[in-house]
Amino acid sequence: MTFGALAAWQAWALLAAAAAIAAALFLLKLRPPRTVVPSLLVWRRVLDEARELTLWERIRRAVSLVLTVLVAVLLAAAITRPSRDVNGTAAAAAGRLLVVLDSSWSMQAGTRSGETRWDRAVAEARRLFAGSRGREIALATTADGLVEGPTMDAALVETALERLLPSGGDRTAWPRTAEAAAVHFITDGAMMRATEPGVIVHSVYEPAPNVAILAFTVRRALAGERRWDAYLEIANFAPVGQTVHVTLERENARLFDQPLQVAATGVLRQVVPIAPPGNAVITARIRAGQNALTLDDEAVAWIGGASPLAVTVVGTDTGWLQTALEQSDGVDATFITPEAYGQGMQSGGGGEVVVFDGWAPDAPPKRPALLFAPPSLTPWLSAQPSSDPPAVATPGSEERRPRWEVPGGHPVVDGVDPYTLVIDRARAYTHPDLVPVAASARGTALVSVRESGEARAVVVAFGPGESNLASAPGFPVLLANALEWLARPSPVLPLFDGEDQRAGGTAAPGLVAFVPSVLRLADARGRRVPLWRLDDRALALVPAPGLYTAEGSGFRAPVAVNAGDPELSNLSRSTLGASAEETPVPVGASGRPWWVYCAVIAFGLILAEWWTWQRRITV
Amino acid sequence: MSLRFDDQFLKKLEYLHVVSKRAFAGHNRADRLTPTRGRGLEFADHRPYTAGDDFRHIDWKAYKRLNRLLLRLFDEERDLPIYLMLDVSRSMAEPSKFDMARRIAAALCYVGLAHLDKVTILPFGAGLARESAAGRGKGRIFRIFEQLEQLEPAGQTDLRESFKEFASRPRQTGLAVVISDFLDAGGFDGSLKILRTGGHDVFVVHITSERDRDPGALGEVRCLDAETGETRDIEITPRLAAAYRKAWDTHAAELQRFCGRYGIGYVRADAERPFEEIVLTAFRQGRFLE
Repeated sequence: MTFGALAAWQAWALLAAAAAIAAALFLLKLRPPRTVVPSLLVWRRVLDEARELTLWERIRRAVSLVLTVLVAVLLAAAITRPSRDVNGTAAAAAGRLLVVLDSSWSMQAGTRSGETRWDRAVAEARRLFAGSRGREIALATTADGLVEGPTMDAALVETALERLLPSGGDRTAWPRTAEAAAVHFITDGAMMRATEPGVIVHSVYEPAPNVAILAFTVRRALAGERRWDAYLEIANFAPVGQTVHVTLERENARLFDQPLQVAATGVLRQVVPIAPPGNAVITARIRAGQNALTLDDEAVAWIGGASPLAVTVVGTDTGWLQTALEQSDGVDATFITPEAYGQGMQSGGGGEVVVFDGWAPDAPPKRPALLFAPPSLTPWLSAQPSSDPPAVATPGSEERRPRWEVPGGHPVVDGVDPYTLVIDRARAYTHPDLVPVAASARGTALVSVRESGEARAVVVAFGPGESNLASAPGFPVLLANALEWLARPSPVLPLFDGEDQRAGGTAAPGLVAFVPSVLRLADARGRRVPLWRLDDRALALVPAPGLYTAEGSGFRAPVAVNAGDPELSNLSRSTLGASAEETPVPVGASGRPWWVYCAVIAFGLILAEWWTWQRRITV
Repeated sequence: MSLRFDDQFLKKLEYLHVVSKRAFAGHNRADRLTPTRGRGLEFADHRPYTAGDDFRHIDWKAYKRLNRLLLRLFDEERDLPIYLMLDVSRSMAEPSKFDMARRIAAALCYVGLAHLDKVTILPFGAGLARESAAGRGKGRIFRIFEQLEQLEPAGQTDLRESFKEFASRPRQTGLAVVISDFLDAGGFDGSLKILRTGGHDVFVVHITSERDRDPGALGEVRCLDAETGETRDIEITPRLAAAYRKAWDTHAAELQRFCGRYGIGYVRADAERPFEEIVLTAFRQGRFLE
């Protein structure tokens, strides 16, 4: 046992003193109130008879004495703030103590005792801190790094503990503090994490049955135009099969509301057809009897093409585009001349995306724009390049027979086959806002994107007259990619290099990386989520699943945040082994602090003593 | 406290007689029949004349008829000696108890005096205190009231010593009325037997109060004996309180049973009961007054 408020010897001394004082006070004979009676004659007879009850009297006195001493000891114990003893060697070590809490989402899982793994972890952290009086202490989480300390002020750490919650985080990150003599890591081991040597691991793992939505997307249906299918994948990570109640909602309408039987450790895949009209947001919810984690019980999906994309094509000879756009599903194209655009469209009216064919306005368009071979001296496309680094092209210059050699990784050129393209001439656009996403071997930008300014833009440096673009197999792909990127941008980036990006516009709760052009992120209620800039990413700590909206220069895109992940939702496994080095945190560890129980029991005993004293059961 | 009674109550008392189970012969003529034959008005019997008898009592009509000298005998009507023994020990110090005892004594006094009985007040505690001079006639009642008013509770109770002292003095046998709470460590049976064997007709008026019968509030108390000054720390539990009440009831029942066994009249006078009800009802029921 450790004591949070006093040193161990002080606490034991206080308990002993309390017991001794209580016993002394009990045994101390207080002068009772005096009353004059006519005679003690009758009393003597009664008391002589009462002597037969001496044993009962002794028992009464003993019980009262025990109760009194117990009350005193319990109240004294409440003052000392006792708690369960922690890993003896680690707690007893001198020097700075660092406690790291695993803030994986799986720590939100409930346990058989009703507490969550996080509750247990926090309780264990409290005990560790309580057992390290007189030492510098520091608190960190795997998501937030160092949260508090190093400090001697336990109240600061306690405040930090109260406000902390699991928030996902980077599995590779490991918080550090200088000169930490002992590092304790409290985890459930759900995520494989490389810890430093010497770290003392406390396990809050307890197998927990769980049901989770692993995948939820809305796809275009194979049969019929403008129809979608919601694809739902539900996994039962429980050792027994169970009935899972699945609900799909679109605004207030229920698209699907049925109980489904999912086998033990099985996965259920359900496709629900969705009719075209209505809100673009679809929410899926599941309920089940054995379900330890609620985070993965809800998922949202966004119907990207719920309404046809309005495209305005500006040009004089746009027949090649008309053919391509008419064949594109979900595009509603309007064709106008540059003069008509100049008369009314410039203000921003018209379609969602504007396609300029061989022409460009003098000012940047206020709508996302796709430009095919615009004049190279267009002011907002060309600028005098700086000398450092050396420019590969000058305004108005051209490159003859450029070769698009390397397939690009940008969404605009993703899947475009460059080898089928034959380009006679490509214009050079030198404005610094333009970012090449496909370039020739000599460095001339063949396809550039512009994300700064009021609206996004994609500039293709060649047109049908200077290439076989209209007939090239990669053209429909390029056109579809460009329109999709301009109209329905996917702002989410892989969090780490080499990590697979989730299906367009979705992310998991926790740290989410966005394209740098994202300036604002808000949840479904419009509450802002703070963004940080790091290198070429905008990072946000997304607190919970749901639909978020990312806004940036020239775009506004929905982001569906879903927790479904087998690694997270399978709560029946842990990367922690049965190693003796791991200290298991006992069940019920997160219950109320012992001092609360001490105080409650003491007051209960006081009440019992008072009640029995009133009835002369105790003395 | 004033022992004056209102006229209406006194009138009611005048209609009452103190009843003695036995007939005692006093020294003075009064209106109580005595077992002796004497100079009363009511003819009782004849007996043969013997030398020295008063010629005036010879029944000449019987001599003429029977030719024998017979003497006419008459019932003697004398007064009844009443000894009112009043407990003035400290155990009677509770005002309601002591007042009740003095009022009863005063009332019995008045009844006795009204019928020309010789009433003597004998306060007692550890022994007999100064007794009042025996007197007759209602005129003495005010002096007796004054005397009763001047009594103060003091000392311990010793029934045996007091009654021995009473019996040791030469007295006419009569009615001995003991007004007491009978809270005597020495017991009451031996002492009452002393009175009884002295030839007196004994009548007990048991004065009780709520404080005697009930131990009061629960809790630990230091009980101080009003007579001896002895203290005792007692934790009064509900069980102990019940035991006390039971013990007191036993004490009262023992006294009543003892009185019944030895032909001693017994009346219990609870201090909380109305005084007139006790005198006019309880004493009648106890066959002490009629």
